[in-house]
This record gives sequence, C-alpha cells and structure tokens, in this order.
Amino acid sequence: MLPTNVKQMLNQQIQAAEHPRELAIDIMMAVQDHYGYLSDEALEEAAAIVGVDPLKLEELATFYTFLYREPVGRYVIHICDSVICWMNGYESLRDHLCKKLGIQMGETTPDGLFTLLPVCCIGYCDRSPAMLINKKAYGPLTPAKIDEILETLRAEAAETTPS
Amino acid sequence: MPKLIIDEREITVPEGTKVIDAAERMGIMIPRFCYHPALGAVGACRVCAVNCLDGPIKGIQMSCMIDAQDGMKVSTTDAEAVDFRKHVIEWLMLHHPHDCPVCDEGGHCLLQDLTVSGGHGVRRFQGPKRTHTDQHLGPLVRHEMNRCIQCYRCVRYYQEFTGYEDLGVMQIGSRVYYGRYRPGTLESPFSGNLIDICPTGVYTDKPSRYRGRRWDFERRPAVCLHCALGCHVTVSARYREVVRQEARFSESINGHFICDRGRYGFPYVNLPQRPRSARVDGTETGWEAALKTAGERLESVAWKTGPQGIAVVGSARCGLETQGMLKRVADAKGWQGPVLDIDPAAANVRTAVSRLDSDLQVSLREIETADCIVVVSADPLNEAPMLAPALRQARRNGARVTVIDPRPASLPFQFDHFPVAPDDLAAAMAILIRKCAEKEPLSELGKTAVRSIEAVSDGADIPDADGLAALYDDLHNSRRPVIVCGTHTAPPEIPGMAADLALLLRIAGPRAGLFYVMPGPNSFGAALLSDPAPSFGDLVSAIEKGEIKALVVAESDLFGSGIDWDRLRNAMNKLELLVTLDYIDSPTTRAAHILIPTLTSYETPSLLINNEGRVQQSPAAFRGGDPIARTGGGDHPPRAFRRDIPGREMGAAWTALLTLGGRDPGSAPVNLTAWLGEAHPALTSLPEASDFPPDGVRLPLAENAVERFQTDRFSHGEKEEDALTLLVVDRTFGTEELSSLSSILKELTPSPFIHIHPEDAAELGLSEGDAVGIDSEAGTTVLPINLTPEMARGVLVIPRRRDLDDRLPQERRTVLSKTAIRKATEDA
Amino acid sequence: MAETTDTAYPQVLFANRKLDRIAAIDDYRKNGGYEAIETVLKTFSPKDVQKLIQDSNLLGRGGAAFPAGMKLQTVADDAPFPRYIVCNADEMEPGTFKDRVLLHADPHLLIEGMLIDAYSARAEKGIVFIRPEYENAARILEREVAIAEKAGFLGKNILGSDFNFSIDVHRSGGRYICGEVTAQLNALEGKRPNPRKPPPYPTEFGLWGKPTVTQNVETLCCMPPILRNGAQWFKDLALTETGAGTKLYGISGRVKKPGCFELPMGVRLSEIIDEHAGGMAEGSEFKACLPGGASTRYLTREHYDIPMDFESLKAVGMRLGTAAIMVFDQSDCMVGVTHNLMEFFARESCGWCTPCREGIPYIKDILWRIENGLGEERFVPMLERECRHLWNAYCAFAPGAAAPLEGLLNDFQDEVLDHIREKKCPFKASV
Repeated sequence: MLPTNVKQMLNQQIQAAEHPRELAIDIMMAVQDHYGYLSDEALEEAAAIVGVDPLKLEELATFYTFLYREPVGRYVIHICDSVICWMNGYESLRDHLCKKLGIQMGETTPDGLFTLLPVCCIGYCDRSPAMLINKKAYGPLTPAKIDEILETLRAEAAETTPS
Repeated sequence: MPKLIIDEREITVPEGTKVIDAAERMGIMIPRFCYHPALGAVGACRVCAVNCLDGPIKGIQMSCMIDAQDGMKVSTTDAEAVDFRKHVIEWLMLHHPHDCPVCDEGGHCLLQDLTVSGGHGVRRFQGPKRTHTDQHLGPLVRHEMNRCIQCYRCVRYYQEFTGYEDLGVMQIGSRVYYGRYRPGTLESPFSGNLIDICPTGVYTDKPSRYRGRRWDFERRPAVCLHCALGCHVTVSARYREVVRQEARFSESINGHFICDRGRYGFPYVNLPQRPRSARVDGTETGWEAALKTAGERLESVAWKTGPQGIAVVGSARCGLETQGMLKRVADAKGWQGPVLDIDPAAANVRTAVSRLDSDLQVSLREIETADCIVVVSADPLNEAPMLAPALRQARRNGARVTVIDPRPASLPFQFDHFPVAPDDLAAAMAILIRKCAEKEPLSELGKTAVRSIEAVSDGADIPDADGLAALYDDLHNSRRPVIVCGTHTAPPEIPGMAADLALLLRIAGPRAGLFYVMPGPNSFGAALLSDPAPSFGDLVSAIEKGEIKALVVAESDLFGSGIDWDRLRNAMNKLELLVTLDYIDSPTTRAAHILIPTLTSYETPSLLINNEGRVQQSPAAFRGGDPIARTGGGDHPPRAFRRDIPGREMGAAWTALLTLGGRDPGSAPVNLTAWLGEAHPALTSLPEASDFPPDGVRLPLAENAVERFQTDRFSHGEKEEDALTLLVVDRTFGTEELSSLSSILKELTPSPFIHIHPEDAAELGLSEGDAVGIDSEAGTTVLPINLTPEMARGVLVIPRRRDLDDRLPQERRTVLSKTAIRKATEDA
Repeated sequence: MAETTDTAYPQVLFANRKLDRIAAIDDYRKNGGYEAIETVLKTFSPKDVQKLIQDSNLLGRGGAAFPAGMKLQTVADDAPFPRYIVCNADEMEPGTFKDRVLLHADPHLLIEGMLIDAYSARAEKGIVFIRPEYENAARILEREVAIAEKAGFLGKNILGSDFNFSIDVHRSGGRYICGEVTAQLNALEGKRPNPRKPPPYPTEFGLWGKPTVTQNVETLCCMPPILRNGAQWFKDLALTETGAGTKLYGISGRVKKPGCFELPMGVRLSEIIDEHAGGMAEGSEFKACLPGGASTRYLTREHYDIPMDFESLKAVGMRLGTAAIMVFDQSDCMVGVTHNLMEFFARESCGWCTPCREGIPYIKDILWRIENGLGEERFVPMLERECRHLWNAYCAFAPGAAAPLEGLLNDFQDEVLDHIREKKCPFKASV
C-alpha cells in the first residue's frame, strides 16, 4: 500500500488535471519510485488513482523503457549500447560491469543494489561511452571510473540504509 | 461521386469510399488483414498495397488508407505492389508457427489463404521464432498468441467497437501481445466474435476445438433463435450434430457480429436427453403410430366434450409454419386457441405489434445512425444483447443514449440512466409526451394521445422529472431519434406510450423511429396469428374448471408461462390428454401422455418474424438424426450402411399438426405460403423459399397514424405503502429458454442473487453480504443481496436463471409487502 | 564539459552559454532576453509573427526540416480553442545531443521561444515533452519556468497584455517513437504512442483533438533572435544561399574533440571535423560519417567538403537530419555499425506496422549472420529487397532505418562481400 500522503498527493494531481490520463506515466513513475518497481500491486494502485482499468496502464507500462514491471535493484544501471558508445568500447565496459557485479545483463545483484540493463542512445555521445544510473548520466567511462562509481553508490547505500 | 480507374476499368463510387472498397465493388478483392469494414482502416498490416500510377496521389499506397478520388489510376497488379504484398506475407510468416495441422483456423485462415495466393512458400529467414505464453480466456475462446500477426483487429473490435476494456495490447515492437491483464474469462458477452475477426488462429472456438475442418462441416445459413432480433449465423454441423456457429453478415440486422448467447446457445440440438422417439404413455412407439394414437384420443375427447374441450398451445420459438398450422388446425377443428405466446409479456408484444407501422419501424442497423435514443423499460444487454453494440455505435457517432428503467442498467458506453420504478414508468413517459404536446401545435390526433395519458399521474413526483423534461428537448432537437421499448417487464401501458411518443415526435419534426424489444424469436408472429383471447391463463382456468380436457402443446414449455408451478401441475393433472410436440426435454414433455419429438430449426426450414416485423427464413442446416457420437461409438460413422438416418423418424412440428388435424400424410403437399397468407393479410405476399432475400422481407404494416394513438385509459391503483416491486428479469446467459440448456454457457451463468437499493436495504435492516428470504407463491426463496445504488428505489431485481425457476416467483413483476422480505437466518 | 565556444562565428543560440553553469534569467535578460516577446506583445499580431518566421526561412531542427512558419500558418484562423504548443525535447535520435546542451545552456531562450510560438498560434498552453534520460534538464526547466512565471513572463496577462500562457513539463516513459509528432500526441494523452496517420494534421486535430503545433527545442530557440533581429539577419547568418540561421552541430565518434558547436548553417563538413572538433582522433582516417543521426545515409570521403545544410545534402541524396555527425574511421566495420543501428531500430519499433516490426529484426538477423561469418551471397539481394520495402511502412521510422542500410549496400558493398567471402568480420582480429 502507498503511504497515505503519497496517495493523497497523487490523487490531488489527478483531480487538478484536465485530462487525468495525461498523468498516467507520471503516476506510474511516482508509484514506481515508492515501490522500486511496478509490481502488480503498484500498477493496480496507480490504475485506481488514474481511474482506469489496470490493463490500460499495463498497455503503457510494458511499452516504455523506464517503467519496470519486474523487480529491479536500488540502482538501475542502463548502459548505452547505441552506435557511438558501442564503437567506444561498450562491450568491454559491459563485460567489466557484469564481472564486477557478478551478474548478467538483465539481472540484479543478490544484495538488491544493482540491476544491469541496456539502453538506447541516451544523448551523451559527446561523453561516450556513457551510462545512466537512476536517470543520472555518467561518461566518458573507463573501467576505473566504473569501479569508482560503484564504490560511491555502495557507500551511499550503506549510509542511507538503516542496519 | 469520384470516378477512378482500377486495373484499367472505370468505376464511380460514393464520396469517401476507400480504394480497397471501390475495388471490391468491382470484384477485385485486394488482400487485407487489419482492414475490416466494421472497424475501419488503420494501415497497420500493409498488405493492401496498390500502385497509384496517376492522379492526385502517386506511388505505392495502402488501398485502405486512401479515399477514391477523381482521376486516380490504380493498379493492383503492378509488379512493385505485388512484390511488396508478397513480402508482407513473408514478414508475417517469419514467426508464424507451422502448426496448421492442429490449428482450428486451418482451412479458413486468411493468413493461410494469402500465403498461398501470394506465392510465398520458401522460408529464408534463419532466425529463431518468437514465442509467447497463452492466456486462459474462459470457456469460449482459445488463445494461441504464437500465431499472431499483429493486425490489431481483436483489440480494435473489443475495445473500440464493443466497448469492453479487459482485452488489450501490451508490449512493444516484435513483442506486441494481445491479451488480458491477467488470464481469465473475457468479460464481453460478444467475445466470440474475436474468433471470426482474427485473420488467423490466435482466437479459435474452444468448444469445437479439433472437431473438424471447415470443409468437413455442413455449413448453412441460419437465423438465431435466442432473442427476438433474428441475427444471422452460419451453422457448422458434422456427424449429425451442430458443432459451431459463426456470425453471418446482415446489412439490416447484426452487421458482422453476434452475441455469445447466439453463438453458443445451440447445444440443445445435440443433447442426449433431447426427445428423439415418440412415446405413448411412457412407452416408445413409432412417430406415425404415436400421431395416430394422438389423433384417435383427441377424437375421443372431442366426442365426449365437444371440440371446445381441446385447446392448442404454441410459443414464440415456433416458426411461422407451426404457428400458422396451430391456427389452421384449431380453426378447422373448432378447438380452443391457438395460444401462440405463453410468455407473460405476450400482451405487451401484442400491443407492440399493433402499434408498429412501416413509418416508424427501424432495423437494428438503423439504430446505429440515430442521434438521440431513449430506451424505456428495456435492458438491451440482457434482453437483446446485440442491441447494446448497435446503441454503442450510435453513441460513438455522437448520439445521446438514455435508459429509463428501474433495473441497474449496464451498457458498454456512456449513457444516462433514469432509474424509474415500474409504477412510475408511465408517469415518466407522460412527462415526455406532455412536453411534446405543450410545445407543438398538435392536430386532433395528438390530443387523443394526450387524453389517453390523463389517467396517468402527472409525473411531478417522480425522481428527476426535470431531467426527463430536458431529455425531451434533446429528442425534439435531434434529427433521427429512436424510442426503444421493452416488453419483458414493462407495465401494460408502456409499449403504447412509446409509440405515442414516437408518433408525436414525428408531428413535431424529427423523423422518429420505434424499436420494440421482444422475448422470443417469433413473438411477433405469435401476436400476428393469434387473438388476444383466450390467453394461456384463460386456458388454465378452463382446465381447472374441467372445461378443457385435452391440450396439444407444440414446442412450448408451459412452465415458462409465469403461472405458478403448483397451480400448473394441478391443472395438468386434471387433463385427460396432454399431447406435447417438442425437441427439448422439459417439464411439459415429461408430463405428456403422448410425446411427439420434432425437428429443430436447424433440421427443418422455418420462417420467423423478428422484433422489427421482418420475416426471415432459416433454412435447414442438416438433416437431423441421432448424433454419431451416440450411435457410432463416438468418432466415426459406423460402417453398417442403411438408407435412412437413425433417429430421424420425426418431422417438423407443423407436419405432425397437419396429421393431428386429420390430414392423411399421403395426400398432396400443402402450399404453406398460401396458407400463411390466409392466416393473416400481412403474410399474403411472402416470397417462395427459393426467392427469400438474404435479409428477409419487412412486413407491410399499416401506416394509419390517425387511428393508432393509444386510446385505452390506464388506471393505476393506489401505490401500496410498505410494498416493494419484485422484478424477475432476463440476463444475457441463463434465462432464455434454449440457450439456458447450453452446456457451453453454464460457466458464464452467475449464481443467483438479488439487487436491492442500498437505502431500501437499510430500511429493511439489510447490509452487504446478507441473504434475504422472500415469501411468494413459490414458497420461500433465499438469495444473497447485491447492494446496487444505480437502480430504482422500492424495487427488488432478481436476474432469472431458468434452471432455478421452480425456486422463484413465476410472475415477472409482483408487488410484495415488506413483511414478505426478511433477513435469512443461518439455518435458512 | 568537452564543449568550448572558441569560435569566430556569431553565437546566437549559445550567446549566453557559460562553461560552468546554466544561464539564469538575469544572464538571459542582460543580453536582450525577453525583449522579443515584449515587442511582439506590444506591436505584433499573431500573423505578423508567423510571417516573420516564414520569411526567415527557419526550417524545423528536429530532423524533418519542415518550415516552422508554414507549420504555424496551418493553424486555421477559426480553429477551435484551446490550442497547444508542444516543445519536442524527446531527443532520441542516436548521436544527437544538441537539445540537451541547449537546455542546459539557456533555458529561458526556450521559454521565450515557446512564448513567441504560442502567441502566433494563439495557444495558451505549452508542454515540453522530454525524454526521461534528460531528467536533469526537466528539473532545470521546471525551476526556470517557475522563475519566468514569477517574473511575469508566463501566466495570465503576460506583461500587461491579454495573452496568457503556461508551460508544463511532461516526462516520457522513454521510447524513440515518442519523438514522432503524432506518436507524441498519443503519448501525451496517456495512450500507446503509436503514430497517427494524417490527415487530420495535428495543427487542426492534435492534442485532445485540438490544434497543436509541435516544434523542436532548437527551432523554438531560434525564434527570439529572429524576432529581435529580423528575418534577413537570420538568413544572412547562413553560409549558403539556401540555408538560414546558425545550426547546432553535434559531433561524436572518431574525432579529437566531440561536442556540440553552433556554426553557421552550411559550414563544410571538413571544417567541422578538422577545426571545431579538433580533427580526426589520433591514428584515425575519415572513412564515413552519419551526417544527421541514425536515420541518415552514410556520407563518404567524396563528400568530405560538403556544405552541411538541408539543401546541399539533399542534392546528393542525403539528409541533414538532426545534424548529429557520427564519424567512423578505417577501423570501424560498417557491417557492425549498421547492425548496431538495426539493433536500435528493432528495439525501438513501436510494433504498429509490419515492415517496421518484422522487417528491421529480419535485417538485423541477416547482418548479424554476415558479421559473424555466417553470411551468404544471396543475403545481399535479400537486404536490398528489405530496404526497398521498408519505405512502405506506416511512418517515417522504417524509412529512417533503411537509410544507413542503403548506405551500406551502396557505398560499402565490398565490405559486406568481404565478410561473406572470408566467412568472418575482416575488422576483428582473428583469435
């Protein structure tokens, strides 16, 4: 269940909207931010807020790249595999990440911290090779830089997670 | 009217005609997957490509996406277009499984046909095939997503055309997936059309799975019997069983689609318990012998009591042939009757039939073009399912649709609902009629109508009278309003008032139409061919008084007449002779002294008049006989050869009646058409069977408005305080007589419950989850309640399940004292 | 940031660009920002604005090069209200990042551009449709929109006129097809973003069935300078006769200094690479480039000096697209490059029509086989056929995908055949 205040805020947004459906993506993103991904429960709650059948949101959620219908880690790493990043070493960086995290593309680390996904050109070709972690861009990447980023995120996670 | 050239031939077509349709008019069938006349053009599949050689648009174009224009020169045979179309097929076959041998679509698969005709045969793509997981979609439709070619027809049909939201399109790119949010039974009562509309085998007919190829079947056109609309179906029969039904196009009635009740209502034809041998006093005898015995016994009753000691009864599911023969025999013999419609709605139907005229009558398809529709005392989805999509098309074209009915109306589109209690329906109609009379300088005839409603309360005290007055303004300002009026549970004055309103609107300006919803496939014929008296109730009273000693019942279950079962049983016990002719097993066939099995409309041609007054012919689909499943051990015809068909020693009900009427079976064939003309003047010019037009013929109904206003005055008794009106109403599945015998539809028939308005419930001390006991003539019925705010106050609504009829009050509309309703205790 | 602005050419769109921070409203106003809208509101009719933009020969910068003034003029005088302005910031064409740079450089330039656009279309609502990868830019925009509102440039009765205008930022869920104008409208309405086939055109029946004008970020940003300095000034900015204005050229790949540069329209490719991008990378020789994103054909060595404007490229059968130049050198396998592009198109196809949904993965499969030593001679005519038939797709997506493939088959067929003959990719070191 969404916390009451989150739900209230989203409901207010919907009520203020001239066409509630135009907020479908925003509401799903917000609910996803809360749950980490769009579980069935999350999708159904979002549908109730938007005022449509869950199927209507499923039609959208399964279309877009940044709506996750399966569990993802706290940090979703989207590695750009489009042409410039690809020629600038995408494959070896990907392999580096996989090795470093001990997972394959599409998988999540057992500690629930990282998920590795590919993404199409993210518009950082001038800083290629690049990747996106929770919608923040990083590049140009080298294996050393990647290690550094992962360490920083691990530390951040350790700091903010109550033990 | 643009003039264009297609494949070097010139054609002129109406403005707005798509090139694909223009070509079809010339007999050139351009391939198509996504295009469907009912769904429109979306340009997704790209297989209808043509080359525009000259004119306002040039180059390769999708013929579904361009309107025919002056000066166009279109080639469908152009090499580039042909090569592209062939390539589209190759693309679509990349992932299509080669499971045609086990695919029920095989043999009538558009993808298969176009693959062959396009000349694609060799697979060049070496990549893996994409696969999907299928979903369970319920008992009717089988899902096989791997076969999908992503034409979007299903979702466009399901969501846009019929307005249901539980089947959609998910995923992206080559993973596009059509299905439900979760596996489960499709909610639309029109889901079976997915099977017809899918150009390949994604949606196939589940009940007939693996039962045969299309060419194995005896396929014939037929008219649906499961409500009064008379939709067109195609029957597939094999091994002396009906196996499958599909929608058949009708320009005037159902368009391209049918409802699931119509599609899956047929199993009564195949049932093992269907009477197939004649019985006399419980002993099987030959058909001819039983008829002979019946004739003798009837003679004997007549000799004792006089001919008026015998009465004949039919029903609204009898074809005109049987109804006409009942009348002819009764007239000839001096027997009482015929009573041709035993349904409690028979009197309403009779009013409706007397009020329809050629000016007012509209077809189901014409409803789609109406711009303001008032549905009064009817529940389209449950009483005449295909009316709902027709109303939806009108709504999509911008019409306002209003329902004035006490029940919790549900329709797959936005509409206005006035939940008016049954006692107030006349007052509600009176508001509309008076408003019309006030606004218009009415001629004398309009005044007649207004006088006729003077007896009705002025309507001021009904809820939302202002809303109804405003509705009149919309009716008045519309171009083509239609009044849809029900007969099933309508108070007796409503059908007439609906006609009055339509006529007055005509005087006021708009070209108003009138559309009655009736219970049976031939309710109209029954009203036409029989007199108001005696009614079936009159016959029962006469039996109770000992005046009637013998009853001949043709294709009619007396236990659906609305008369209390105990009373009916007692009356029937007083009969000396009950002769029942029927093709279903019912309490009436079981009570018969002499049982004469008859052929269904699948096995003998029959004429039916639909609710609009359209006579249609339903030819025989196959010749009948015992299903091979019963006689041959199941899967193959036995190899013992014989000339006759086992279990076919029966005839149509009308032929049996002819014999009972004393005609020697060996005498010259009768001219049924001529006989029907003698039975009613409206039937004098029916075409011969071989000349019957596909959409039937509209009866010539009088156009004599002056005499047609309602003149009966209805007086309303004082409203009883502390009383509730109990309505026992139809629902899509489980109520209609023949389809309620369908094993296929059993799963879709919900368990019984009772709708009650939350405020009424509160007054009765009931809350959600409670069950109530209702005392009536039938005894005490205990049902769970369903709190329903979208219904009239002071009304209880029980959706009727025919298989539980003996537990429910038989009257469709009864007034109950509040003391007769109480919370059921645990042990109840 | 790698970008610098040390160029002698006039900086119009990047006039306020700072290397270390985003231009604030004060920076923007100091250089004449919001003067244009003030003048417009006082002295221009909507038609005057349309005419000026039309006269300036401003062509849409999103890739299709449709005349911006003409688009505004297609909104009929008696078209219904409300009308909408949509700023297309869904920059997802591979290789393209100019709008990102622009949004981070000078957000108020865009806001003023939208104001001018809206005034001339008599629209009261503006929406910035932005890709989720640009979340940072979305936040900047939201912040600066609020600042502009406080300053009286957005909201009701702007600068004392009777003109009202507000801007919302709409975040996409992330798909390339959402950049397509009609698909974007569906996306905004919360529907699946499949394209819609005009007619009706969005300027008559767009968002929620109302007239809607969609322009690219860069296009809108050109408007304030045009209004300030006039149509002729704008035309004179270009180096070529047919061009107009400056252009943001994004360059990436095998160059020393990838980045986004504001240069006059029509500047030569050689100059962009050799001067502005610092020349080819160490050891790299120019082999080819994609001149304007993934949906354009490869530009080969013979066109190295071509003026980079819409007309000049059109004349040699190329497209300027988004002017996102991706440079390849002698070590890049063009089969591999094209396969990567097909991977992109296949993944992003919306799945609406057959050629796109089935044809592109088909091509991808064939190219994969060729690249991995499984190629056969018959694949070449098969690819040619695919290419030809992709043109008959529903929207411009599949023809866009066909462009680099056409380039591969026309200009690098030898490379393709080498793969097939050698049963391996000649560019990969053998194991």
